[in-house]
Amino acid sequence: MMSSFSNPHYMYLFSLTNGKHKLAYGESPEDALAILSIRLTPQEMAEIIRDDYIKISQRELQKYAKDLG
Amino acid sequence: MTSSFSLPWSKKKAKIVWIDLGDLGDLVHPDGPHEQWQDHGLGLLRTILHQNGIITDVVSTRAVTSWDQLKKQLAGYDMALMNVRSYTFPAGRKAAEIFKQVNPHGVVSAGGMHATVAPDEMLKVPYFDHICQGPGEKVIVDLVRDPGAFPRLIQGVGASSMAEWPMIDRTLWPKPASRRVSRKFNWPLEPECGWGPPPVATILTSRVCPWQCVFCNENSYIPNMGRRPVDAVIEELNYLDDHYGVGSIVIHDSMFFQNPSWLREWIAKYPRDANKPWPYWAAARSDTVRQWPDLFEALIRETGWNMVSIGFESGSDRILRLLNKECTEDDNNFTIDLVNRVGDDMARQGKEPPRFWANIMLGIPGETHEDAFQTMRMLKRMKRVYPSISYYAPYPGSALGFQIIAEGKSLMSMENYHRFPDDEKVKGVDYNFYRELLAGKYDAEVNRGLSAEETRRGYQGLYAQTLTKA
Repeated sequence: MMSSFSNPHYMYLFSLTNGKHKLAYGESPEDALAILSIRLTPQEMAEIIRDDYIKISQRELQKYAKDLG
Repeated sequence: MTSSFSLPWSKKKAKIVWIDLGDLGDLVHPDGPHEQWQDHGLGLLRTILHQNGIITDVVSTRAVTSWDQLKKQLAGYDMALMNVRSYTFPAGRKAAEIFKQVNPHGVVSAGGMHATVAPDEMLKVPYFDHICQGPGEKVIVDLVRDPGAFPRLIQGVGASSMAEWPMIDRTLWPKPASRRVSRKFNWPLEPECGWGPPPVATILTSRVCPWQCVFCNENSYIPNMGRRPVDAVIEELNYLDDHYGVGSIVIHDSMFFQNPSWLREWIAKYPRDANKPWPYWAAARSDTVRQWPDLFEALIRETGWNMVSIGFESGSDRILRLLNKECTEDDNNFTIDLVNRVGDDMARQGKEPPRFWANIMLGIPGETHEDAFQTMRMLKRMKRVYPSISYYAPYPGSALGFQIIAEGKSLMSMENYHRFPDDEKVKGVDYNFYRELLAGKYDAEVNRGLSAEETRRGYQGLYAQTLTKA
């Protein structure tokens, strides 16, 4: 695993089956999902639509906060 | 050394009052030094106002021990200003309510980090007439002169570079509020914080950490800003020394160890041009240390950086990834080995060795017992360390905080934001395990793989005492 000088991280917004969104972050969408799985239960992970995501700027965090679930 | 002590019935001169925020009584009978540190946002903006001919008074929730005392001090003002952080939001809201009770036609304008990251929470409070998001140095004068010309929610405007900031007039900071505290406070400088000699001068050389750790995300809200010129920093320190006598420095930057060209200039000029090479506290990241080890070592050896604050956070790669720290166990271990080695060498030479101010986070959702043992094991590898341990706190505005709040897992709310260290902050986290861990119950597990010397570091219960506000 590399630190910030060798491998930048990005933020992603994944759609959930209930219409909300899940904020995730990592080197890639796959990495972001793997990181989410560290703290979420398998049931919570199953609610994530894994191929429905957008990449967001951290400067836009506030814009998406109300849509999170 | 200046000793000063303000009485709540001191004569008022202005119609505008700054309300300095913090826990009641922190300037009367503080628990520790950090509650006594002064607010640079208040100092900067009040200096700008005074330089523009707008005179203000200052009162402090920290300088009273009851809300009734504050109420008496607030009567008769036309306007109140305050800098609200998330952990001072409850105090700010209460102070605004009291201000409106005693000055029904008065105007309350609030800015600060909580106004910036959680404007919705601020907008729900009817006592805030104006809420300024983001930096306020380019808008405060116009806002105070004509508040009616502004909407309720204002987008602040900041300077493009800290070079534009005036030197803070530190006599505009609130004074200690008891004779006992004032004797050791060194106002308008600040009290000893447990390491460097007093008086302490806190100072900023840069603003905002550009990384994206998901427990903070300050870079999401504050635009990039040019760093303060090295010459201006040294000039201010020399001015403070000439007038008040500086003993040591706390560089309050979120991330001091960045921008190598600035740091090289600091190495060249600070030992040469400062009145004295005052020792100082400043912050770095372990990946930056690993990226620029020679620069880091030169700063320690040549400029008196003897209290090295590192946001280690965790000794586990799993948790470092979860925090989006973008540092690794290897980065952390590299930094520990380097500071241990440089410290040993300096001690052999009869010099004061550098110490870590080790920021450690526990109680992170998803953290296993083994992750926590790895973190405590990492702490024990540090030969010279002041541990600063806190439980993860899901503040709004941070990426992980927003997400945990949305999942209904946060135990914090706008009713109880504060920084009491042993509060339970997230549902599902086994805080009893962490209390027992810090009390030494799991020392056998923590000590696995450590040398005999390392296992002796941190006597039973030591780490419980180092739990700090978060």
